[in-house]
Amino acid sequence: MNPQQLTTVQAVDNAFIFILGVSIFMLLLITGLMVYFVIRYSRKRYPVPLSQKDQNLWLEIVWTVIPTLLVMAMFWFGWEGFLTLQRIPDGAIQVNATARMWSWKFTYDSGKSSGKLYVPVGTPVKVKLESLDVLHAFYAPAFRVKRDVVPGMTTWVWFEAEESGSYNLFCAEYCGVGHADMITTIEAVPQAEFDQWVIFSQPPVVDGEILLDRYGCLSCHSLDGSASVGPTLQQIAGRITKVKRGAESLELRVDRDYLRRAILDPEAEIVEGFAPIMPPFAKGSLGQDLDRMLDFLMTGESIAPLDGEQIAKEQGCLGCHSIDGSALVGPSFKAIFGRITEIEGRGGITVDAAYLRRSITHPEAEIVDDYPSIMPVYDQLTEAELNALVDYLKGIK
Amino acid sequence: MSNYPAGDRGFLGDPKAPGFLGWIFSTDHKRIGLLYFWAIVTFFCVGVLLGLLLRLELFSPGVDFMSAQTYNATFTLHGVIMIFLFIIPGIPAAFGNLIMPIQIGARDVAFPRLNLLSWWLYMIGALLAITSLFTGGGPPDTGWTFYVPFSTQTASNASLALFAVFIIGFSSILTGINFVTTIHRMRTTGMGWFRMPLFTWSLYATAWIQILATPVLAITVSLVMVERLLGIGLFNPTQGGDPVMYQHLFWIYSHPAVYIMVLPGMGVVSDIIPVFARKPAFGYKAIVVSSLAIAFAGSLVWGHHMYTSGMSDNAVLLFSFLTFVVAIPSAIKVFNWVTTLYKGSIALDPPLLYALSFVLLFSIGGLSGLVLGAASADVHVHDTHFVVGHFHYVMFGGAGFAFFAAMHYWLPKIYGRIYSKKLATIAWGFMFVGFNLLYLTMQIVGVKGMPRRYYNYLPEFTDLNRLATVGSWVLAIGLVIMFANLFHSVLRGTPVGPNPWGGASLEWQIPSPPPTDNFGENDPVVTHGPYDFKEAGIL
Repeated sequence: MNPQQLTTVQAVDNAFIFILGVSIFMLLLITGLMVYFVIRYSRKRYPVPLSQKDQNLWLEIVWTVIPTLLVMAMFWFGWEGFLTLQRIPDGAIQVNATARMWSWKFTYDSGKSSGKLYVPVGTPVKVKLESLDVLHAFYAPAFRVKRDVVPGMTTWVWFEAEESGSYNLFCAEYCGVGHADMITTIEAVPQAEFDQWVIFSQPPVVDGEILLDRYGCLSCHSLDGSASVGPTLQQIAGRITKVKRGAESLELRVDRDYLRRAILDPEAEIVEGFAPIMPPFAKGSLGQDLDRMLDFLMTGESIAPLDGEQIAKEQGCLGCHSIDGSALVGPSFKAIFGRITEIEGRGGITVDAAYLRRSITHPEAEIVDDYPSIMPVYDQLTEAELNALVDYLKGIK
Repeated sequence: MSNYPAGDRGFLGDPKAPGFLGWIFSTDHKRIGLLYFWAIVTFFCVGVLLGLLLRLELFSPGVDFMSAQTYNATFTLHGVIMIFLFIIPGIPAAFGNLIMPIQIGARDVAFPRLNLLSWWLYMIGALLAITSLFTGGGPPDTGWTFYVPFSTQTASNASLALFAVFIIGFSSILTGINFVTTIHRMRTTGMGWFRMPLFTWSLYATAWIQILATPVLAITVSLVMVERLLGIGLFNPTQGGDPVMYQHLFWIYSHPAVYIMVLPGMGVVSDIIPVFARKPAFGYKAIVVSSLAIAFAGSLVWGHHMYTSGMSDNAVLLFSFLTFVVAIPSAIKVFNWVTTLYKGSIALDPPLLYALSFVLLFSIGGLSGLVLGAASADVHVHDTHFVVGHFHYVMFGGAGFAFFAAMHYWLPKIYGRIYSKKLATIAWGFMFVGFNLLYLTMQIVGVKGMPRRYYNYLPEFTDLNRLATVGSWVLAIGLVIMFANLFHSVLRGTPVGPNPWGGASLEWQIPSPPPTDNFGENDPVVTHGPYDFKEAGIL
């Protein structure tokens, strides 16, 4: 058997099922005998034991040799599968993953980056793993792959999605307070859609809010006023805040300089009531994004209004939905607003803003007749992005 | 041999060492054993409580009542208490001290004062661990594994907790030295190596691991402390260090530690099954050799915790191979235990019930360990709830149930009073059902892909997590009944004679509770093996 031909799922499951099968058999054997002996040779039935025999060389040999053969087979299955996991097939595309407390960032050769891992269906993907701070682990249960992400070291995994869909991606190595929320998805999309998605690679001018999300700020700082691991960012500009600077306690008004310090050197001034656990961002690592985020935090507004068309391209909508009326994977966007559409099991409805929003965030709930239910869920979009997207769709005549 | 006149409580009421001080400064191995026992049981109960809280938080996705930070601190504390304060000292320090010297016909261990020092170190370590919760940057949140670089960066009070582990480690080393010396030098006339009860044999194998492996733990935690205090960069890649090196050092101790935890449990079971089947232990020598083989080979398999860590493929090959090798002696033990029952005269009294549960639960733990030993299968389930379920089967189902078996077997000897067998059986029923509901479900949710150390989880895992949490409640009910029954028996149980179970080893030939000097003026002379029920006059 050539391990190269197996997928990662087969490599793991083969060993798993073999071991599980043997184990269940052994367990039933042991338990069955134990229960049988306890009943059969109970003291009520046999006040005096039938035998005092305490050794049998042949038995010892048999139950040494048979388990030895079994476990060696298990070892071999496991090792062979492991080799499959370690050998990257020819023609694999590469994505670079960067893990930090507590978010993932995936960067493509084209320069495009994303918080979700987009991969084409049917092509092996090699994910190069690097950590900016502590240990993390890349874990995609659907593909049975897991690899630690180790600071100062480059590791990698490979896998291949056979069907399009959205698959869970977890951090599996404990990394602190945000560990359980360091979850994202692998979005497996058809090759054409993937190409489309990757080509629109110019780092777009993005909204400050998206940047905050992308850098993982929003995992700990809310935008809606609720206290989380860190203080909320809602109306933070001008807020009077008590901070501790070393041993000294003082009050200050939040301004641009303070926010800059709080991002670059968070341990210097700790807001009272919160733990000093925010990881620092190295100077220069944020580039121009720092100013964009500061703009957003100071004004509460985006610099530029969001461009729905841009979002549709970035998110890969146009890979499956045409704007010229042709049917691709999904229905065309041409003149979609106000159109009467047949929904499976429900009949005709008129497409309005509410329906468009639902079909983006819960695409599986209402399926247009004659189309497959394969659209990934886009629930990571911000409210602003969603509005911009819907506005854009409204405008396609 | 008869029991005492009424009112004489043996070593429990030794007139030469009265009162509280007479206990905490006693050098009598039985008193030290009991000091350990009560401390260990107390810590176990605290650990259980924390475990129940963790399960309660996992009842629903999202925050139920614990924040992420609280959850992380709680599972760290649960792990540290259960591993370092309950399971590692558990059977050797409590029952090893109580029973082993009597089993070999000795008056005490070889170094009684060192023995007392071990207990003091253990208590000081425990006190430091508790102190770490309320001082510095708050309760440690690193997990009991203290993985770098997180453990060198966290603001929580990891340094003190590490120091506590360091101290407790020395307690373990000293106990190991004491037991090896005792078993070599203090055996009575006629107590040849192959007349030693299997429990003593298992302690002997364990003691060697304690001596050889625990210093590595001391070194490892010292290095993390130095790293935290001085930032020398041993594990920091930006300073030329290597975080994976920490994992090697940690598991060089902590994998053998698994055998420190489970070997004595195997010893307990090897002692109990023959007595309740009225048959000699089948394959005595095979069990002895497999104990020693586990102690030896178990020291060479630490890397199987690290298949996904980024170490070389050659290392994975070697460690996976050795891991499967170490499975063989464990299988041999299980087959010998089961065969001991064949054609016996079996009384399913509580000690046997708990011992057979050990065999079953340890088998499930061991067999699921084979999945983890296989390099490819491990990649999927590593660091998921499958692993959590697996090691609870081995640690709790194995070492824990063996500890319970030992309590039901030897506490009547120590206190001269016996519990209600009916209640002990009812408690077992709850525990057995709850246990499997809890940990088997955990393994399933792990195979489905739920990572460990998650206070929050995806909604698709909700049902299984609820089931596991319900299992934890059933298990807790069983534990409460079991401990209540035992504690009640210690104070008000029915008095029993020297040999309530019909054992043939030496501890059953002296009164219950044993006198302070064990065998009185004359050392016993041993003329038969530990399971020779005919010679001992049981049959």
